Amino acid sequence: MRVAFVGKGGAGKSSLAGTFARVLAGTGQRVLALDSDPMPGMAFALGVDQTDAGLPDEAVEAYDDGGRRRYRLRAGLTGTGAVEQYAVHGPDGVRFLQLGKARGPRWDNTRQHFGFQGVLDDLPGDGWSIVGDLPGGTRQPFLTWGRYAQTFLVVVEPYPASLLTGRRLARLAAASHAPRVLALANKVREPGDAEHVSKRTGLDVVGTVPFDPVLADADRLGRAVLDADPDGPTATAVRSLVEAVQDREAVQDREAVQDREEPS
Amino acid sequence: MKVAVVGKGGSGKTTTSAVLARTLARRGHDTLALDCDSNPNLGISLGLGEEATERLVSVRDAVDAGQEQHAVSADDLVQRFGVDAPDGVRLAVVTAIQNPKPGCPCCGISPEQLLGELARPGRTVVADFEAGLSTVLRLDGRPVDVVVVVVEPTAKSLEVGRRAAEVVQGGGLGRVVITANRVRDDQDVARVRAAFPGLDPVLVPDEPAIVAAERAGEAPLDAAADSPGVRALVGMAESLTG
Repeated sequence: MRVAFVGKGGAGKSSLAGTFARVLAGTGQRVLALDSDPMPGMAFALGVDQTDAGLPDEAVEAYDDGGRRRYRLRAGLTGTGAVEQYAVHGPDGVRFLQLGKARGPRWDNTRQHFGFQGVLDDLPGDGWSIVGDLPGGTRQPFLTWGRYAQTFLVVVEPYPASLLTGRRLARLAAASHAPRVLALANKVREPGDAEHVSKRTGLDVVGTVPFDPVLADADRLGRAVLDADPDGPTATAVRSLVEAVQDREAVQDREAVQDREEPS
Repeated sequence: MKVAVVGKGGSGKTTTSAVLARTLARRGHDTLALDCDSNPNLGISLGLGEEATERLVSVRDAVDAGQEQHAVSADDLVQRFGVDAPDGVRLAVVTAIQNPKPGCPCCGISPEQLLGELARPGRTVVADFEAGLSTVLRLDGRPVDVVVVVVEPTAKSLEVGRRAAEVVQGGGLGRVVITANRVRDDQDVARVRAAFPGLDPVLVPDEPAIVAAERAGEAPLDAAADSPGVRALVGMAESLTG
């Protein structure tokens, strides 16, 4: 499974992506969690201490491209090799790789940026599931940071600014020929909120996560909600979500097989 | 006066910018609000409603798609990509576009640069920047008067805010005003104060009335002017005018 979480800042992408990665790993899958937001985020939701562990400088080399300095993974290092060597070991067996985080005045992440892109170009294939947390907003998520994803989950809260963002993302996804794009209604407080999300974004809602005060507390403490409340509403909703996404993928795989057997 | 509003996504930047811009305008400032977010929602928080907000965005999109003329100057940009908002605030959407023309005054320069271009004596410019830190880093060499760093008392948001404040102070980029939204209890107060020693953060209580206004797509200043949360934001705005 290859999924990426997108949506407005603050919609709950990191919390849900981190929980999703761990729940999926708990079902026996090998999971790589990818945080491409240069803000600390997914580490908290995974329950990983190293909030700043990007690729080390030794993993990336500079080279000259017609007078311009560029960066790539060092010679001999594949994306899969970088994951095996440098991805942090998180709870439930999740491996975790993040874009190095912004620090200090005149911070420059060019090196990190290209190193991370090099990994995205060559992600581990067979036997791995990938769960990505993309930067907030609508800046070309489908063609760049999320290009590995087979399913995009647009996290939407049921209020206008978030719905508007969801609708913009749905439009961009169509223009970018993104694969499957589904909505995830988050912080739902009232019956009808999920339907509202579907109607206003034009997206199919694959899951609903209720407003969860425990999650708000866990965020304040920088704790994973899965550790704070393993059987609470967020964990329960994400377990259903994992199953729902797996079901969709199974249906699509069956249809792909049928298409091959009965060419029209 | 040039004011930049920064912080993590979802921490309340846009709500804070809107109350700030309208409060300054009510106090007689000629106020220009710039929506620099690639996902622009400031119109909603200013009280323009969803439709007018999307209309502004679509003009910007049309320029990007080559269906509309580019603005010929920064002032033309405010005219063409702007609209009059409540209390006399002028709102302009200056989001970065995907196909900019290098050097073009409406899309070829960064929002941070534009903030400088549009400043002039007698005018106050409030820029609601894109979430994250890159925007603060681009202020390097282009100091403003005030950088409002908006946070909420979560570990993530405080971490982003702390780094933003460090960059602004380290680079001498402006006076830092920390605004902490959704403060619920003494523990939250302690967390915020511990993250910003010596900076005397403005504490905005967790405010159901602001949540309700956002869910209704209304400006907090219209829907909940007397609530403690909005009053705290108004107080922060007034403190900037001295």
